[in-house]
Amino acid sequence: MWAYIFRRVLATIPVMAIVALFVFSLLYLAPGDPAAVIAGDQASPDDVERIRASLGLDRPYLVRFGEWVFNILRGDLGTSIFTNLPVSHMIMQRVEPTLSLMVVTLVLSVTIAVPMGVVAAWKQGTHADRAVMAFAVLGFSVPVFVVGYVLAYVFALELDWLPVQGYTPLSQGLWPWFENLILPSIALGTVYIALIARITRATMLEVLSQDYIRTARAKGVGQRAILFLHALKNAAVPIVTVIGIGIALLIGGAVVTESVFAIPGLGRLTVDAILRRDYPVIQGVVLLFSFVYVLVNLVIDLLYTLFDPRIRY
Amino acid sequence: MKRRDLVLGGGAALVSAPLAAPAFAQPAQNRVLKFVPQANLTSVDPVWTTATVTRNHGYMVFDCLYGLDDQFRPFPQMAEGTSFENDNRTATITLRPGLFFHDGEAVRAADAVASLKRWMRRSPIGQKLNEYTDELVALDDRRLRFRLKRPFPLLLNALGSVATPTPFIMPERLAQTDAFTQIRETIGSGPFRFVQNEFNSGSLAVYERNPRYVPNPNAGPVSLTAGPKEVHFDRVEWHIITDTSTSTSALIRGEMDWFEQPTPENQLLLRRNRNVVVEMLTPFMSVGIMRFNHLHPPFDNPAIRRAILPAVQQSDFMIAAQGPEPENWRDGVGCFTPGSPFANDEGLDPLKGPRSIERARQLLREAGYNNEPIRILGPTDILNPAALTQVAADLFRRLQVNLDVVLTDWGTVVQRRASREPLDRGGWSITCTTFAGFEVMDPVSHFPLRGNGNGAWFGWPNVPELETLRDSWFDAPDVPAQQAIARRMQGIAMQELPFVPVGAVASITAHRRNLTGRVPGFAQFWGIRRA
Repeated sequence: MWAYIFRRVLATIPVMAIVALFVFSLLYLAPGDPAAVIAGDQASPDDVERIRASLGLDRPYLVRFGEWVFNILRGDLGTSIFTNLPVSHMIMQRVEPTLSLMVVTLVLSVTIAVPMGVVAAWKQGTHADRAVMAFAVLGFSVPVFVVGYVLAYVFALELDWLPVQGYTPLSQGLWPWFENLILPSIALGTVYIALIARITRATMLEVLSQDYIRTARAKGVGQRAILFLHALKNAAVPIVTVIGIGIALLIGGAVVTESVFAIPGLGRLTVDAILRRDYPVIQGVVLLFSFVYVLVNLVIDLLYTLFDPRIRY
Repeated sequence: MKRRDLVLGGGAALVSAPLAAPAFAQPAQNRVLKFVPQANLTSVDPVWTTATVTRNHGYMVFDCLYGLDDQFRPFPQMAEGTSFENDNRTATITLRPGLFFHDGEAVRAADAVASLKRWMRRSPIGQKLNEYTDELVALDDRRLRFRLKRPFPLLLNALGSVATPTPFIMPERLAQTDAFTQIRETIGSGPFRFVQNEFNSGSLAVYERNPRYVPNPNAGPVSLTAGPKEVHFDRVEWHIITDTSTSTSALIRGEMDWFEQPTPENQLLLRRNRNVVVEMLTPFMSVGIMRFNHLHPPFDNPAIRRAILPAVQQSDFMIAAQGPEPENWRDGVGCFTPGSPFANDEGLDPLKGPRSIERARQLLREAGYNNEPIRILGPTDILNPAALTQVAADLFRRLQVNLDVVLTDWGTVVQRRASREPLDRGGWSITCTTFAGFEVMDPVSHFPLRGNGNGAWFGWPNVPELETLRDSWFDAPDVPAQQAIARRMQGIAMQELPFVPVGAVASITAHRRNLTGRVPGFAQFWGIRRA
């Protein structure tokens, strides 16, 4: 097991190297000029050229790439072209809100979606099943920002129950922190709930038709024990896989959700950086997201061994 | 412990958490102003970037030697006064006593000299002042002297200029930074102190009242940047909210106090709320322009540029940008900001009267248009330029030209706009944008009105007469003489068409009704108070 983990961790190095090469090259090739954005509409072409030179953006590709890689190897993600702040500092400022949003969304989604999927499978063909499937279709179909606006309108503007925007750090109290995350988490979680509920239902249906389930029923095992002890555990591998894959969905959704609810997270940092071509920030954030994704996949692989004793590494 | 106990315990902790939350020393709520700026504060150096939001940030943190009132008359701010000698070829400015930077250091004339020298490398009026200047030196800690080659009547106006970049005074050690490199600290002597450790670009910028700031009692009436800067808030928070609907909701709920620039559709919503006031941010509207690329066919031909004028309907552009409410825009606009001393109607006849696509088509044919490709380049993510681009595209479609419309994000537009290549190598023919009223109210910083060819603003028109007139404007002895020159410049511009003016848009702001005393002009934080 430990050898496997070690090998997997080692394998992240070439993956990250390829990601780094792609990110840098794509940004180099992409149109856009941070110097022109900095200089503003009132600047002359000469001013833009001088700013570009002062930022080192006129240097050859290989020189810039080499310098960037060298700095990363030293643990330095560079400095934002615009704010002059270290990229690592900017990322650290944004990690907590995004992490909070993702954790609350994840907990909320799994807590709601798995029982929904189990019930839909158990009550296949009934109104409950159809209701779950209808919700799943709706969850997939309605964009995150629409859900966000509707929630904000109803629960913040009309009912005045929750704030419409912002983020309060956990250090300032659990409720203030949670209060700001309720609406964004529901908005972001809708599609995730739909995905997990559908997968849970499909997997449970397959498992519930297995011989050992029939045997359990014949032995007089209760319905709850069949569903949650026997069936769900054996259905867990695909569900956990989907939850893992869904992390990418959450990262993408967080970009929109953070904008709608003005949460100062990594998603907004990414969008802002892309729009103004702040290359070091974009590169740093994409590298971080890639690393998180690789790490999540590793954790998911390890979780398989918990749910299915036949899986050994 | 049973699982149920754990869940119940967790729930109890969640509910009781507010009681256990640490008691932070918060300023009294009514001493905090929460503001949503028009854009993210990405850079804090108001000389390095010309971004308007950074200029506004600059007025919080820094101070200028002079301020301007809404008639653009200069009044001292950091200066105690200026004496002119030697037939106005020597100007000695004395700093008022008791000026301190936020780091506790006294403001010296050497700081002002270094700051002005840096500013003069970037600002259009500063560059012109530099041409007139033989020497700028600090005589002692409180006095600095301009020795000029010839009189510069606009000297004090230049030192109070509100156009970007602005002549803010910063410590000498910061001001010695190259004008094309960003400063690394934000230390000014203005009415607010920038709280660096709370700055989170894209989310929050915090300013605290500068306790050592003494408003200048001799600064004239409170108007634009003139007058004593009396501060009534201990803390001002800029919350960067990119989604305008969210900003609108936050203002309605009272989570925010002031939303600098709501979009037209949100203005309608805000006007219906009795706790919110929607009003003009500034009496000076932004001017929209349709810019031609003069380097390549077909718009290297002035007759082809003129041919489209009978088809241009300024109100079409304005309604697309700001909606049908006539108080939000103005048509019949020329090269200069409407309402400014230099706005005039010279040469605007081709933009008046019945509009005719047919007539424009005929003029295009007569001018020799031979179906050359025309590429309109515009953004989708910035409200006014995006709307103007869409109307321009529609106009040229109706003119049945060989049209290619490139719509992309602003970051790409500003790069492609700098390309001087022909169309088959990524160039462009037309682009639309707006200029803030302060930038185009006179010939000084009016970039699109420059005719200095390769050195001109994107589009690179070569109209030497415009340059000659601009130079003579600086030497004009009084306002009527300047107005006459501005009139002639507009007449030439409407013949040579470095751009077509397409109207003027109002900047609308919205704030909670309990805020009073806002100084019209732009987002400034002195004068304003909570009733």
